[in-house]
Amino acid sequence: MTGTSYRELLLLALPQTVVVLAGLIALALDLSLFRNSTNRVRFSAGAAIACAGSLAAGCCILLSQTHGAIQTFQNGMLLSNPLTHLIQIALLLLAVLTILLSIDSTFTDHIGEYILLILLATAGMMFLVSTEDLLLIFVSLELLSLCLYVLTGFNKHSVHSAEAALKYFLFGGMSAAFLLFGFSYLYGLSGSTNLVRIAAATEGSVMDPLLMVAIVMTVTGFGFKVAAVPFHLWSPDAYEGAPAPAAAFIASASKVASFFIFAQVMVLGFAGTAGNAGWNVRAPGWAPLVAVVAALSLVLGNVAALAQKSVKRLLAYSAIAHAGYMLLAIVSHTQQSIAALLYYVLTYALTTIGAFGVVAVVEHQTGGDKLSDFAGLSRRAPLPSMCMLVFLLSLAGIPPLAGFFGKFYLFSAALAGTTASLSLLWLVILAVAMSAVSLYYYLQVLKRIYVEQPPADAAPIQISILSQIVLCLIAAIIILLGCAPNLLLRLIQNALNAIIA
Amino acid sequence: MVPIAYYLVLSALLFSIGAGAFLIKRNIITVFMSIELMLNAVNLSFVAFAYQWHAIRGQIFVFFVMVVAAAEAAVGLAIIIAVYRTRNTLNVDQIDLMKL
Repeated sequence: MTGTSYRELLLLALPQTVVVLAGLIALALDLSLFRNSTNRVRFSAGAAIACAGSLAAGCCILLSQTHGAIQTFQNGMLLSNPLTHLIQIALLLLAVLTILLSIDSTFTDHIGEYILLILLATAGMMFLVSTEDLLLIFVSLELLSLCLYVLTGFNKHSVHSAEAALKYFLFGGMSAAFLLFGFSYLYGLSGSTNLVRIAAATEGSVMDPLLMVAIVMTVTGFGFKVAAVPFHLWSPDAYEGAPAPAAAFIASASKVASFFIFAQVMVLGFAGTAGNAGWNVRAPGWAPLVAVVAALSLVLGNVAALAQKSVKRLLAYSAIAHAGYMLLAIVSHTQQSIAALLYYVLTYALTTIGAFGVVAVVEHQTGGDKLSDFAGLSRRAPLPSMCMLVFLLSLAGIPPLAGFFGKFYLFSAALAGTTASLSLLWLVILAVAMSAVSLYYYLQVLKRIYVEQPPADAAPIQISILSQIVLCLIAAIIILLGCAPNLLLRLIQNALNAIIA
Repeated sequence: MVPIAYYLVLSALLFSIGAGAFLIKRNIITVFMSIELMLNAVNLSFVAFAYQWHAIRGQIFVFFVMVVAAAEAAVGLAIIIAVYRTRNTLNVDQIDLMKL
């Protein structure tokens, strides 16, 4: 083993360090300088520090990109390459959007702690996407999860918030144990915690019982994290009970990081044991297992969303359904479908954060997130309603928006990439059929907003300029990426080409 | 010398007991303890594999698992206290405000 260069380590982990420092500064200033200020001033100051920190971290990433393209530390313990840079910048952007959208909220007086927890979770995610070692995957996943449990239970006045945090914590803790059990067997089979070496050691031994246990346990653990059926039970409760900005963060940024690492572990760590999920070329391995999970998520997510009365819960079931679409890309795991997965998860995260932003506005004014609370919203708040229209139609996959191109590219990549022609057709047909089902419940929400009359005593909804700007910005990005998907797609493909070359 | 299979069987057994208790037990604290039991089962198999491979990395992994379990206990107990303050109960069957 080579000696450790701390200078190299610090340089590689500089963006994460900057993010953590910004969080600590925000906490310290909130507790000292702004102690007697109003909540609004404290939130604005904290958000400003967080934005400055994220911007600085983004600059660090961009600068390191110009230095040397691909660096690794301690055999893949910490990586720095164009792909990790891209995902890290996306995560920072999502964290900033979350913080900006929560400035108006009044669910807590502990503002410094709130900002710190979001930034710590962001740092955890940035470590998570820049490693190919089981040890750092586990530690950063737990850093992320522990922050998210606390954020879920952040509203101390709400009974639902505490209950949501408890359910999320218990299921999350169990999933961590499953994941670790799988990791321990992988270590036992290969004698290494590095994904590439594990793949080399396990190549071709699919029927080894220890490896089968490891595969099932790992898929179970990650299945909990990405909320795929049958490991989804925590997610509707967590989304419903959590404060809306925290739910937005769980649904967007942590989804991006979890899906990235799920794909990384499967594609790198189980490279030789994929098997095949095609209907005419079945072979044992992890792909058939993930295909079953994807099919279950598609069906149950979309069907259960039909019956929901709470919009946050509806978005949670829609998140389960979208997890099904993204798992489809992992099943086919070609370079093209991984590019499709990244495009899909990034645009999905943006859309979700916007949708939760509108829910937060409505919840703030009406005190609830039931479908009936959205009645006549277009007359009470025209601009957020327009944004919600864009977000929900994008989630449903209507053509000029980013969601349509994401689905289109993902399905065509899944069909084109497989060795035997069209062997994944069964799963793609299911996904297309289910996305038609999904249109119904998205339109249910839009019907309340645009067709129904507002309640007689309803006043126009007050919404701050900042929230309006942020929501319009997100909607504009989604329309732009739908009309010109190459802007993002080319970045993803270049990054993938760079690390494979 | 004890063969490694014995350790693995014991570890799998402990893990199953933990998973079973997670599903059966009704007290939140006991459910939480069963998660800790599962983590310790994993620790046992890591140490056994590290011994088999004569590699230190598995033992290092165990230290990280222990530290993370401690952090998880801090957060978990705080959440359990928050639930108890609002509901006055530690029975999981009564934490049922949100359902499908």
